[in-house]
Amino acid sequence: MAEHVGIEVIERVRPAIARIAKGYAKRLAGLLHCDIRVEASEGVGVYAENGAPKSTQEERGLSFGVRVLAESGGAVAPGYFGRTLGTADVHRMSAIVREGVKHAHERARASAARKAATRGRFGRLADNLYDTRLAPVRAHVDTVPAIFEIDPRSLSLGAIAAEVGKISKAVAGFSATVRYNGIGASSVLIRNLYCSSEGANIDHTFAQSEAFVFVMANGETGPMELYDFSGHQRGWEVLQRGYDHASIQLPSLRDFALDLTKVTVETADAPPLPSSEGPVPVVTDPHYNTLLVHEIVGHPVELDRALKMEAGYAGRSWLLNDLGESQVGKRIASPLVNAVSDASIEGFGYFPYDHEGTKARRVWHIRDGVLEEFLTSRQTAAIAGVEANGGYVATDASMVPLVRMTNTFFVSGDTPPEELFKDIDHGYYVKGHRIPSISESRENFRISAKQVYEINHGEIGRLYRDGAVMSDSKDYFMRVDGVGNDFHLYPIPNCGKGQPMQAKRMSNGGPTMRSVARVVGP
Amino acid sequence: MLTVPQLKRAVADAIAYLRTVPDVQEAEVFMAANANLITRLAFTSHIPSNGVEEPKSNESFGVGLRVVFRDGGGIKQGFGSEPSDMTLAGVAQALDKARRGAVPDPEFVSLPRMGAKPRRSLIKYHDPALMKLDDAGLVDLGWRVVDGALEVFQSSEALLEWSRSPDTVKDLGLILTGDMMVIQERVAVGNTVEGAVIGDETALISSVATSMVERRNTKGTGWHVGGTLAGFGDGPGDDAARNAIRAADGVRIPEGEYRVVLGPQPVTDILNNLVLPGLSLGLFHAWASPFQGKLGKQIASRTLSMYDHGALRGLAASKGVTDEGLPTGRTDLIRHGRLVGLLANWYEHQRALHDPEGARKLGVDPNLYVAAIAPRNGFRFGMGGGRHFTQPPGIAATNVMVEGTEEVPTDELLRRVGDGIYIGRIWYTYPINGITQGDFTCTVIGDSYLIKDGRLGKPLQPNAVRLNDNTHRILNGIIGIGREKKPTVVWNADEIVHAPEIAIESVAINEVGDALMKGD
Repeated sequence: MAEHVGIEVIERVRPAIARIAKGYAKRLAGLLHCDIRVEASEGVGVYAENGAPKSTQEERGLSFGVRVLAESGGAVAPGYFGRTLGTADVHRMSAIVREGVKHAHERARASAARKAATRGRFGRLADNLYDTRLAPVRAHVDTVPAIFEIDPRSLSLGAIAAEVGKISKAVAGFSATVRYNGIGASSVLIRNLYCSSEGANIDHTFAQSEAFVFVMANGETGPMELYDFSGHQRGWEVLQRGYDHASIQLPSLRDFALDLTKVTVETADAPPLPSSEGPVPVVTDPHYNTLLVHEIVGHPVELDRALKMEAGYAGRSWLLNDLGESQVGKRIASPLVNAVSDASIEGFGYFPYDHEGTKARRVWHIRDGVLEEFLTSRQTAAIAGVEANGGYVATDASMVPLVRMTNTFFVSGDTPPEELFKDIDHGYYVKGHRIPSISESRENFRISAKQVYEINHGEIGRLYRDGAVMSDSKDYFMRVDGVGNDFHLYPIPNCGKGQPMQAKRMSNGGPTMRSVARVVGP
Repeated sequence: MLTVPQLKRAVADAIAYLRTVPDVQEAEVFMAANANLITRLAFTSHIPSNGVEEPKSNESFGVGLRVVFRDGGGIKQGFGSEPSDMTLAGVAQALDKARRGAVPDPEFVSLPRMGAKPRRSLIKYHDPALMKLDDAGLVDLGWRVVDGALEVFQSSEALLEWSRSPDTVKDLGLILTGDMMVIQERVAVGNTVEGAVIGDETALISSVATSMVERRNTKGTGWHVGGTLAGFGDGPGDDAARNAIRAADGVRIPEGEYRVVLGPQPVTDILNNLVLPGLSLGLFHAWASPFQGKLGKQIASRTLSMYDHGALRGLAASKGVTDEGLPTGRTDLIRHGRLVGLLANWYEHQRALHDPEGARKLGVDPNLYVAAIAPRNGFRFGMGGGRHFTQPPGIAATNVMVEGTEEVPTDELLRRVGDGIYIGRIWYTYPINGITQGDFTCTVIGDSYLIKDGRLGKPLQPNAVRLNDNTHRILNGIIGIGREKKPTVVWNADEIVHAPEIAIESVAINEVGDALMKGD
């Protein structure tokens, strides 16, 4: 039997891929730029339900994707190609990738010719159909290894299936009101190669271990389902023992699952939250702010969205009307609010370089309440006339990258979180994020919470279920009058964007914060 | 791309091999070759753009095995897949993975039974031209959509009036975004118990285009879903542009309860996000359906009927056979407001029949309602389109047909509403308190109008209101169903809904602040 393909395949193909990007591709007619991404992965995944392992899977992947910019008919346009590969393809990888480059090149040339024709046909109406270009970045050559203790490749499927099955059994036995639970867990090594016609040659490997827990309980006030995720760019040890370093504190999978079960069971007995007549003080915990910063800061600062490229599906951004009219440099939040993306720090959204070779760095979105910088790709940066800051990422090499969040969070303040409750006569403590619904340009939101507690005279009181905060985004940010010093970063495993949809992993987070908003129940 | 006969031969070879493996009790072999070819579209008259932003494709082929292994006195079940290799070496790789991952599943009954002579519901029903699309053809389809919108922009008297000069029409902020997508699928499936192999070939083309005139704060949508290349014409760009221009200068409304007509897109969005997931047998197993325990009971207004039909010739989501080798067909879901059937695959069908709590979960003894949970919807959809060998079958709808006992023209729906709102497009429609509760929220983002005295009136400003209501209240508040149906897809959906306009007695609406880009 042929050997299974492993992540070592990247070492084998790296010289050939670099030659194709720098040699073969550059000889194609009208080609201005070519980059090739290859991705290999291997690991394991298990799923347990109601106390027993249900399925396990050995996960191995190999894929590649190509981008070409080419000129034809007096215009420049991009073309792409992607394909999933297997063990059988490894010995003919160069030929397959060259074929992919040819397809991407033909598409770019065909599109460039049509672009030129459309420009000619529609005159001034179409004169913003520009010649595609990329903001300049240094062509890095680098190899970045993964960090882990327990190698995902060393895991026994049977052993981790038994481990996750036991956790599921503990959840099932937690309370008679638990009717169903499902727990999925996986641990993989992913290795990305990026080579470009400019000479970039980057080999980055990372570990990724994550878990998903779903609990359904039937309480006094009806059925209640909650789910949550845990995970980090480390080995299986993260799920087995938990993780505690800097702003990342993850319990073991067992504790995580049982904590969620406890919350589900107690909330299933709580009454539904009565909607407030108008805005009331709300204190939101770091987990809730994780989804808030994701939806209301992270998404609208993606420059492809702000430039209307996503208007058909993901929507636009309340932060930019056009290149001459945006909120950059203007106050969009109280001076207490600061928010950044930083792919260079530890987190689920870590990478040393994005998927077009731009080195990761901290990007300040909101500094002291003022909008400062968008997340960019090289293409969107060139359009906006700014520096590429490393936000162009795909979920698989066969997919076309998009501008994505990295580790995107509200920056910590200096107030102890308990201080934020003290002077509230009547308000609500909003704990744990659940489900978001955001308006088209992210200018308004309704985000539900796992739990909402009443605050009376500075004390936490009664628990309610099915509650949410609903507000216009800018109003909410302008009314932030307290930011805690209890910063946490949480993993988000399923941010959907693109066509077809790419579910990207990232970290979001923040400290406890206080604002004023309407709370709404069912 | 491999042909169906090649896939079928490879499946037959794999079955012959697997029958010789000592610890294999039974196995299902699924082989597939898929491609999705997409152009993402992004034209902005006031910001540099590419028009056709991403002409791209994603291709794969390979084998997926579901295997029952003998294990001492018992059995274990495993799944394994191998990309890019249909030979016995590839099958052996997949088998190896399945064996290493096998676990005993006490709820497992058997792999699907196709019969010795498996039946295909449809034969030669797809358009071969869609399977032959080349690079230039892919690019051309995308530009047709863009050019269609530009033609409308260029010839629009309204845009000229607003801009006062042909040279400054572009300064109105004209947008056309969306996509054009062709999905090509070839599959073959068989099992070691019966030995037969069946193949299938499907293709569809879809495009959803969104147009805006930003300076007039308006948005319009156009879309096309079909099974033939010729039927695509110039795509939906012109419809999107016309609808955007038509809905300019919308007004705001105060919050409250409104009678509404939901257009095909909101009907599809609500079904996709809130209703169809709850009609999956798998969700009933997990006690997580909003319709738990209600099979055979009234869940909607008596005028509403709905069924899934994967074997209707000429409809884009039809398939000749499921990804479990079983015949596709009609599954009645709601008849005259009563829940009469659920979407199922083989595994969930078998599990429900043997579940001691099955009667409590469904509300009736599943063994007395076997036909209502027939396994006609076992598909392996993924990666934005395609029938993928990398995963076991899940449950997915195909063509969802929505009907009314009495279907009426749009004029009559508007008359029934009297004063209210026509909602043409909603966004981010989520079950805000979990799917079991039925609570949902979304915003209205375009294609919407006030209804005054039974007629369409002024446009509703996009992004001005949020719907905050409950699925059960919507389903039970239907006061009319339109006669005309439009095949409609929403983002990341597997199914195509043949959606009519539907009038609803009352929907709770809240105002969204007019804060977008307003000063410091």
